Amino acid sequence: MTPTTRVPKQNPNLISLGSIGDDGSKLILHPSDVRGPFTNWRRLSAVLLVAVYVALPWIPINGFPAVFFDLDERRFHFFGLTFVPADFWIAFFLLSGLGFALFFVTALLGRIWCGWACPYTVFLEHIYRRIERFIDGDAPARRKLDAAPWTSSKTLKRIAKHSLYLIVSATLAHIFLSYFVSLPRLWEMMHGSPTQNATSFGVVLFFTGALYFSFAWFREQFCVILCPYGRIQSALTDDNTVIIGYDEHRGEPRGKATDPNAGDCIACYKCVHVCPTGIDIRNGLQLECVGCAACIDACDEVMTKLERPKGLIRYDSMRGLDGKSTRWIRPRILLYTALAFLGAGAFAFSLSTVHDVSISVLRMRGMPYYVTDDAVRNQFQIRLTTKRNVDTTFALHLEDAPKTSFSVGLDEPITVQPQQETLHPFTITIPKEDYIGPFDVTLVSTSQPGGTTLNTTVHFQGPDPRLFETPIATP
Amino acid sequence: MSSPSSDPTNDPAYLTEEQKKAGIVLRDHVYDGIREYDQRLPNWWLFTLYIFVVWFVVFWFAYYQLGMFKTDEEEMDIAIAAIQYKKDKQLNALLADLDEEAIWEMSRDPAAVSAGQTHFNQFCSVCHATDLSATLNGTPLPGVPLDDSQWKYCRKPTDVFNIITKGSPDVTKGMVAWDAILGPKKIAETTAFILSHHEPDSPWEPAPDSPENLEAATPPPPGPTP
Repeated sequence: MTPTTRVPKQNPNLISLGSIGDDGSKLILHPSDVRGPFTNWRRLSAVLLVAVYVALPWIPINGFPAVFFDLDERRFHFFGLTFVPADFWIAFFLLSGLGFALFFVTALLGRIWCGWACPYTVFLEHIYRRIERFIDGDAPARRKLDAAPWTSSKTLKRIAKHSLYLIVSATLAHIFLSYFVSLPRLWEMMHGSPTQNATSFGVVLFFTGALYFSFAWFREQFCVILCPYGRIQSALTDDNTVIIGYDEHRGEPRGKATDPNAGDCIACYKCVHVCPTGIDIRNGLQLECVGCAACIDACDEVMTKLERPKGLIRYDSMRGLDGKSTRWIRPRILLYTALAFLGAGAFAFSLSTVHDVSISVLRMRGMPYYVTDDAVRNQFQIRLTTKRNVDTTFALHLEDAPKTSFSVGLDEPITVQPQQETLHPFTITIPKEDYIGPFDVTLVSTSQPGGTTLNTTVHFQGPDPRLFETPIATP
Repeated sequence: MSSPSSDPTNDPAYLTEEQKKAGIVLRDHVYDGIREYDQRLPNWWLFTLYIFVVWFVVFWFAYYQLGMFKTDEEEMDIAIAAIQYKKDKQLNALLADLDEEAIWEMSRDPAAVSAGQTHFNQFCSVCHATDLSATLNGTPLPGVPLDDSQWKYCRKPTDVFNIITKGSPDVTKGMVAWDAILGPKKIAETTAFILSHHEPDSPWEPAPDSPENLEAATPPPPGPTP
């Protein structure tokens, strides 16, 4: 039986996870403080991203929050555009476009999403770890506190830290809920008893718990083991993908700064100490690396002090780290670019087909057509929907209809209540002697406000016209 | 099982001395020349298995042994039954009071007539015209006129209600069943609007194309004459 380790490994290797002990226990990693340009840029981008997350439900556009998945009304408001469930097919092109765009970025720049933009990293590194740093101190102090016996000061610190974690988690969960119920409704529910809004309360409770568990304890395990995007990295990247890597040719052999025979790496282990997933970047590209660039800043600081060139650890491709040149244009990149453009193009096109109103024409229940003594008649039902939050008036007329045909039910403009839909029947009739077979007409709808004009093809159905030419023999 | 000389652990390509010293162990099993490290699964991962084993037992016991919860299908059936019950109740409540007298009474109630006029104009006027004449600028519309004293099928107010609900007995004429779109309340209001153009004491004369008149008359020669 191998001895149990609860402290992170001094020398992380490629064979076992740096954050899992020999007995399977999760080791608590305490990344050291790190300073540098990448850290500053990451903090800035994180502040912006959190600000966007918090602000979106507060910004009204066209009378609705900028992003609002209205579950009650089954409408999705997105920067002034409104989608109804019938528009859901567009999500396919949005997601495929985004998916291929992510493929493209990954092939080009590796796990850059994980280190810079992923909400999990943003919340963990820039909110929860900052709280921990604020309450418990720097990495050595945190390790010391972990090992210390339960004194009143440690208990107080633990209570303070976990209370702050819970407050932040609950806040993030409430903001999440406001994307689905809007802020005024959230405010109203927060003032009511939990039993009145049991589902919403349950959702907030669940998310608070999930966020607290993830960021207080689970942390890097998600990125290292669970995240599916992390798992498909090896299929998306190649030797020309820009990753964070260690220049072995320059760094090896490791040795003291004073040793003239040693490489540039002085084995100070700063890159290991700052790593949030507990790896040694000098072992090469590893699946645990989330591309946070903390090791770059840590190493650059040391190199600057030693007056050696920066970039012993840097953003570069495997080929670049090997002293060769990075090939930017390669089949994979071209394919992913083409697919991303295909997805984006299809998405843009499908967006252009979404309007503030929608109209659909259905044949009315009953027979497909009616034949009277002197005419053939079709009965239709129009479904008019407005996504606007004001009364919308539809003016309707037919185009390309045979001259002698006439329609009833389209003369008067039809007004639809805000965010509602209405049914409206109409008929098209054509005299028998002018009927030469089924035909298509165009129903033109112009709605106000907005002036959206939509054309719908209406198929006039009828019997074979030869039936009218010769008398039908009766049995 | 294999002799020490063929043991791949002794192959320097598998484990370095340093790794062996660090306690890294390879398992004996070889497949396509690939061997596994002998390492523990993260405990939290193992716990998810245990949690779901417990969950399964609780679930199986609660759903299949005690029947404490309903399946989705049962819940849906209950919900549909509840909707149907509500609909039936509404219809029955309306029909219980809905006789000839009640419809005539409704047809004198301005609120009911006005509501009925809205439904009529939206759905019925296409064939019967807003003035119930079934003509538009002199052109006859598909529907039967409802403002004269002649009736094709109806002999009393509840007949009007039933025709709107179920549609014309002659499906080739185009009057469809409106119950799915309007529901009994709106149909009653529409009936009231139509009858507001009539008087309780006015006669209900069979129209020339009503079933009894057609039966009496000689059937016309079939098909148009060339």
